[in-house]
Amino acid sequence: MPETTVDHLVSDDETARRLVTDSGTDTAIPNHGERARPGRAGNLLRTAASKYALIGVWAVMALYFYLQVPDTFGTSGTFSSIFGSQQVLVFLAMSALVTLVVGEFDLSVAAMMGIAATTIPVLAGMHDVNIVLACAIGVGAAVLAGAINGFFVVVLDVSSFVVTLGMATLLTGVAQLVSGSTIVSVSSPGLAKIAIGDVLGMPVSFWYGIVLALLIAYVLAWTPLGRAMVFVGANAEVARLAGIRVKRVRFGAYVTAGLLAGLAGLILVATVGGFDSSTSNSYLLPALAAVFLGTSVVQPGAFNPLGTMVAIYFLTTGIFGLQLLGYAGWIQNVFYGAGLVVAVALAKVVRDRSRAR
Amino acid sequence: MTATPRLEARGASKTFGPTTVLTDAHLVVQPGEIHSLVGQNGSGKSTLVKILTGYHPPDGGMTLEVDGQPIALPVQWRAAQAAGVSVVHQDMGLLDHLTVSENIGIGGFARSRFTGRIDWRRQDELAAEILGRLEIPVHPRTLVDELPPAHRAGVAIARALRGTVPGEGLMILDEATRALPREDLARMHDLLGRVVASGTSVLMVSHNLEEVLTLSDRVTVLRDGRVAGAGLPTAELGEADLARLMLGKTVDAVTRVPVPAGLPEDAVAEVAGLEVDGRSVSFTVRRGEVVGLTGLPGTGFEKVPYLLAGAARGAAGTVTTPTGRIDLSRAEVSDALRAGIALVPERRVRDGLAVDLSVRDNVALPSLRRRGRPWLVRRRWQDEVTGEAVTRLGIKARSGADLVKELSGGNQQKVLFAKWLSTGPDLLVLHEPTQAVDVGARADLLHAIGAAAAAGRGVLLVSTEPTDLVEICDRVLVLQPGAEPQELRTDDPDALLEAIYAVPTTTGASHA
Repeated sequence: MPETTVDHLVSDDETARRLVTDSGTDTAIPNHGERARPGRAGNLLRTAASKYALIGVWAVMALYFYLQVPDTFGTSGTFSSIFGSQQVLVFLAMSALVTLVVGEFDLSVAAMMGIAATTIPVLAGMHDVNIVLACAIGVGAAVLAGAINGFFVVVLDVSSFVVTLGMATLLTGVAQLVSGSTIVSVSSPGLAKIAIGDVLGMPVSFWYGIVLALLIAYVLAWTPLGRAMVFVGANAEVARLAGIRVKRVRFGAYVTAGLLAGLAGLILVATVGGFDSSTSNSYLLPALAAVFLGTSVVQPGAFNPLGTMVAIYFLTTGIFGLQLLGYAGWIQNVFYGAGLVVAVALAKVVRDRSRAR
Repeated sequence: MTATPRLEARGASKTFGPTTVLTDAHLVVQPGEIHSLVGQNGSGKSTLVKILTGYHPPDGGMTLEVDGQPIALPVQWRAAQAAGVSVVHQDMGLLDHLTVSENIGIGGFARSRFTGRIDWRRQDELAAEILGRLEIPVHPRTLVDELPPAHRAGVAIARALRGTVPGEGLMILDEATRALPREDLARMHDLLGRVVASGTSVLMVSHNLEEVLTLSDRVTVLRDGRVAGAGLPTAELGEADLARLMLGKTVDAVTRVPVPAGLPEDAVAEVAGLEVDGRSVSFTVRRGEVVGLTGLPGTGFEKVPYLLAGAARGAAGTVTTPTGRIDLSRAEVSDALRAGIALVPERRVRDGLAVDLSVRDNVALPSLRRRGRPWLVRRRWQDEVTGEAVTRLGIKARSGADLVKELSGGNQQKVLFAKWLSTGPDLLVLHEPTQAVDVGARADLLHAIGAAAAAGRGVLLVSTEPTDLVEICDRVLVLQPGAEPQELRTDDPDALLEAIYAVPTTTGASHA
């Protein structure tokens, strides 16, 4: 506390004159803004804890399942079941991530995947179109849908929520139209091979997912394009004043989301051999849950592809283990739904804590 | 003045984490007076108001009395309201598509005693009554949308005074007069005169010195979280006096880094025919020169930096730099960057920095395309550039990996400055580069501006801080309404203030 300034309270002319003539007599200006530095070791520990907490939870969960059902959970089959089954979700989550990174929101990723996964078997299976051409058209349809999203949201400045929700509903209808609301299938050994061919004991598409996540992580961290995307998402006006063409970046994100969703559809068809168009929107929540849960790990507070990968396999491990414990199919929805809420809450708590320091 | 003050707050302090924004401040408002609270951004005046309205709890040791009755702290807004305190906020809080009567009644409509239904007729009568008392010629059933600004302010004031007994109460105008056109100030003065005539007090928070002197009786000045002037009668103050009180005496006179001899004196930017608010501005900035640009609000001087940097589109104008000529009517930010023009914008959190990202990311952003390759941006030069910025400007950060939001305002401003300096521009355009920073950071920033000029850059400093302008600028251009820009070479802030306020005000509202 500095000396009290009771004499200033008197509002007489003399005070006024004195204050006006020698303003600035209070010399000691406190040094604002310097903050205490926390200990380096404690800091490192806290950083590690906030970055990798989810991985710890994951390990504890796996250990629990192992102790509960060692005969089934503790086999090599478990590993390949968990890690070899989520490629579609990986691609779809990356598709959602690309738009979220630039500060946009795309609810139509699952429907774009659905339109690709419907178009390919309809063309190749029912109309005998060349399989490569069918795949190109299927993925192309998803890219086109992404471009239309981008046009409405970025060029016409319509709410992304409205546009992508509308696009999701519309594409689901179109998929039902072209498939005649039935399950469509295609049998093409060549197509199956690009997805489930064995590489190092895992389906090749598992490696696609790993490569994709690493690629996106690399682009975001180490290229001008990625840095531009991160800045557009963090503060679009700052990005604009740094000479980044913000609209182009946002539009590109929607098109890329379409491409990745289309590829997810392609892998889905290649793995399963067919698709029921009415199921496509059930893929949306798991993808979003994984992306948001991913914001609590590796780079807390930021949408990041490696965190998303951790989250996907974390969620899958949980569901797989619970199913082994005897919980039936409903557990999937419960776990994903709860996971999404907990994920967002957790990410926010982590962010708030780092802000409060 | 022996009467019990209407409001007496003493020992008000507030710290946010490590930052002290208010130190032992006091404020005494007498019954029936219009009292202004002024200070620069960051002086603590909005914090003080937020303590009074219960938004922030004060640190310990504060006392608050209304009409001699102590109010419990932290302020419970209902208790303050019961004691007669009311607030008109900056945006007035009016709902445009509702009627005047509805806007006045919100939160406390006249209701039928039996059904609880709003009694519209009585509500209209109540509204008409208070509007009549304040002599505001507005019908209660008019839509607020259709009112001119002065009457909108009147409606907001009428709502604030709705529950007040005439002759009692304190109304806080929290920058509520900011949106008023100058020609309405006289009318506002009359209105506030009617409010206080009965004995109600008004506490006015404002940035506009002219407004403060025209409207209020006394003024309390805050500077750096302390009271620099308590309850000074405005009759004895001029705008320059008030400005000096707010800014304080210069703590360290900044000595310009001397420009080395033999620096080529070619122009780094020739601005020609730049159209700003219906006038045409031309000027030249030479290598090694710091040119100031200032003026009254409304002259458009604050738009010049954004027009030059391609961030806003001008109707016409060109800027010629050593790399060529740009047509500013169709320039993009990237065109200006390529021409060697870098802009440090005014609003650092909104336009300047991505506060959720690290210092290094922010500093490196403008150089990514130039120094990185499309497929790889190396970390090493980013760390070098950041490290150099941290040392050169004395940024207090643990490392470049610190998030910008973890730094204090002054250090954020340094990061923003370093970010654009690191692009090596020919012309550095700065908009209010020392706003809301403490005295030490201000000295560091002004020194860095001088150093940038000495390194052969041209600097355009667009600012409303007279002391900054005279200390660091070689010459200052003053935009005046309806006149040619005036060029000044002076070390005297008063001379500059006089030039800024040289044109007689059009309001004609003399101080009562």
